[in-house]
Amino acid sequence: MSEKEVILSIRDLYVNFYTYAGVVRAINGVDLDIYKGEVFGLVGETGCGKSVTSRAITRLITPPGRIEKGEIFYKRNSEVIDLLKIPDEEIRKIRGDEISYIFQDPTSSLDPLYTSGFQIAETMVVHDKAEWNEAWKKAVELLKETLIPDPESRVKNYPHELSGGMRQRVVISIALSNDPKILIADEPTTNVDVTVQAELMDLLKELQRKKGTTIILITHHMGLIAELTERVGVMYAGNLVEIAKVEELFENPLHPYTQGLMAAVPNPLQKIERLIPIKGSVPNLIYPPPGCRFHPRCPKAMPICKEKRPPRIEVSPGHFVECWLYVSEEEWEGKNNE
Amino acid sequence: MAGMGRYLVRRAITFIPTVFGVLFITFTIAFLMPADPARVWAGGQKASPQVVEKIRKMYHLDEPFWAQFYYFTRAILTNSIYSPVTHNLVSEEFMRRIPITLNLAIMAMFMIVAMGIPMGIVAALKKDTAVDNAVRILALIGYSTPSFWIAFIFMWVFYNELGWMTLVGLPRPSEMITGIYILDALLLGEWKIFIEINRRLLLPAFILAFILVGGLARYVRNTMLDVLSADFILFAQAKGLPPFRLWRHALKNSLIPVVTVVFFMFGGLLSGAIITETVFGIPGLGVLYFAAISNLDIPVIVLSTLYAGLIVVIISLIVDILYALIDPRVRL
Repeated sequence: MSEKEVILSIRDLYVNFYTYAGVVRAINGVDLDIYKGEVFGLVGETGCGKSVTSRAITRLITPPGRIEKGEIFYKRNSEVIDLLKIPDEEIRKIRGDEISYIFQDPTSSLDPLYTSGFQIAETMVVHDKAEWNEAWKKAVELLKETLIPDPESRVKNYPHELSGGMRQRVVISIALSNDPKILIADEPTTNVDVTVQAELMDLLKELQRKKGTTIILITHHMGLIAELTERVGVMYAGNLVEIAKVEELFENPLHPYTQGLMAAVPNPLQKIERLIPIKGSVPNLIYPPPGCRFHPRCPKAMPICKEKRPPRIEVSPGHFVECWLYVSEEEWEGKNNE
Repeated sequence: MAGMGRYLVRRAITFIPTVFGVLFITFTIAFLMPADPARVWAGGQKASPQVVEKIRKMYHLDEPFWAQFYYFTRAILTNSIYSPVTHNLVSEEFMRRIPITLNLAIMAMFMIVAMGIPMGIVAALKKDTAVDNAVRILALIGYSTPSFWIAFIFMWVFYNELGWMTLVGLPRPSEMITGIYILDALLLGEWKIFIEINRRLLLPAFILAFILVGGLARYVRNTMLDVLSADFILFAQAKGLPPFRLWRHALKNSLIPVVTVVFFMFGGLLSGAIITETVFGIPGLGVLYFAAISNLDIPVIVLSTLYAGLIVVIISLIVDILYALIDPRVRL
C-alpha cells in the first residue's frame, strides 16, 4: 500500500458496559487505522461491537457504557489530537462538524417535534457555520443535493410527514451539513426499502468522489461492502479479527470467522452453492471465552486458542489477522514466553 | 390549527352523551340505594308519617324510576334543584364553593408542579443515586400517608406551636376579578389579604401537594429517562449540540406525557378534597360532599358526581388541545 495519510487511528480501545447482570466487555482491545479519503467497511454480526467502536470515536458512549482505556488519534490539518483526552467542549465541537454520523433508523434519529429544516439548520448554527436565516437556505440546498423532491416545502415538514427514505436523506443532510472530514455511516440503509437503499448508496459514493470525505461504513450487507469499500475490518465479539483490502478479503479470507462469514452469507463476488451457517452463537460478553473469543465456535481451534489471545499478524502487506493459525512456530514460542 | 373551531364543536357535541351517561348511572345508583331518603329528610326515626308522606309526594319519590329521572333531569335543565336537607338552590351552593376549592387546587397544583418537575428531572439525571432514591421514598410516603394524619401533625406544629397559620375564616379581597381569591388579592395588590389567605390555605394546599408531588416527580423521571435514551437524543449529541440545546429537545419531548398527568391531577383537585377540606374546615366542595353523603342528600350527591364528570371531560379537552399545540403529529 502506498504511503497514505492516516486520518484516524484507534489504539488499544476497551469499552465496558456496567449492567445489573455484570460487566459486559463489549470492546476488547481494538486497533485500527483509517486512511484519509478511503471508504472503510466494518462488518460483523449484531452485537459484535461495530456500532460501539464507531461511537467511541467521538465518545458517544453513554452510561452504563464507559470507555475504559485506549487512544484515538485524529489528524486535524497538521496536528494530531487524542479524541479521548480532549475536553468535553472540544469533542462537542468535533461532533457533527469534522466527524459526523448517520444512524441506522432515520425514524428514531430525528426529533419528532421539530421540522426537518430546523434540525438541519441547527447543526450548522451550533457550529457557528451560519446564522439561522442562512442555515435555513443551506438546508434547502442540502435537501436538493440529497435529491429530495420539492425541498422548499420539505424543510417545513415534520419527520412524520416524510417517508422513510426521505427521513434518511434528512439525516444524511444533517451529517453533511458541515462538510465533515469523516462520515460514520452506521447501517445507513438497514431500515429503508431496497430501492431506496441503492439510491442512498449512490449518494454516498458520489459524495465521497466529489468531496473526498473519509467514510466508515458499518454494515452486515456484503454487497454494500463489495460495492463501496476499499478496505474492510471484520469484528467478532469485541475484537477486530481481520483487516484487509476488500478484494483480498473476499478472495482469501484468513480468519476462520471470516471464512465462516463468507460461507454463511451470499458472496457478491462469486457464486456459492450452499450457505453454511457458523455453528454456535455469539458468546455472552459478560463471561467472554478465554484466549481467542472465537475458539468455542472455531472448526480449527487448537489448545493455545483457549489459553492466550492471538496477536495481530500482518500476513501480507495490509492484510492483518488475529489468529494463532498464522503465527509461526518461533513466534509462537516468543509470544508464549512473553 | 385551521380545524380547531370545527374540532371544538365536534367535541362539545360528544359532551352531551357523556354527561348524560354520568347523570343516568349516578341517578340509578342513588335510586337503588336501600334507604328511604324521604324518612331521612323528614328527620329520621322520629319523623311523623304524614311529613314523610308529604316529602315523598313533593320529591316524586312515590313514582316509578323513569318518571323520577325525568323530573330530575328537567329540574337540572331549569336550574331548580334544591337540596332537600339545606333547602338551598344547589347550583348556587356550587357557585359559592367552587372558587374556594379552585383556589385551593391552584395553590396545590402550583406547589406540585414547582416541586415535582424539578425533582423528577434531577432524579432522572442522578438515576440510581441517593437523590433518586430520596424522590422514590418521598413518592411512597406521599402515596401511603393518610392525609388527615399529616393534617393534624401540621396543625399542631404550625398552628399550636409556631402560630404561623390560622384555622378559621377565609378573607376575601375587596373586588372579584377572576373569582379566585388569592389571584384577585395579588392583582389588586392587597398584600394583607394575600398573606391572610396564605396563612389559611397554605397548609391544606401543601398537604394536597405532598400526596401527589412524589407521584408526579416519579412520572417526570421515568418520562425523562425514556426520552434521554431515545435515538434522537444520541443523534442530537452526534450533531454536536451543546448541553442546553440537548435539554431543549429532551424537555419538549418529555412535556407531552407530563402535561396529561398534571392536568388530570388538577382535575382531581378541582373535584374537591373531602378529607383535607373537612379537617381544616374549609367551606369548599369537599365539605359539601361530606355533608351530602352523611345526610343522604341525593340531589347534591348526583350533581356533585355530574360536576366531577364534567371536569374530567373538560380537562381531557384541554389536554387534547395542548397536545395539538405541542406535538405536530397530533392534528385536531
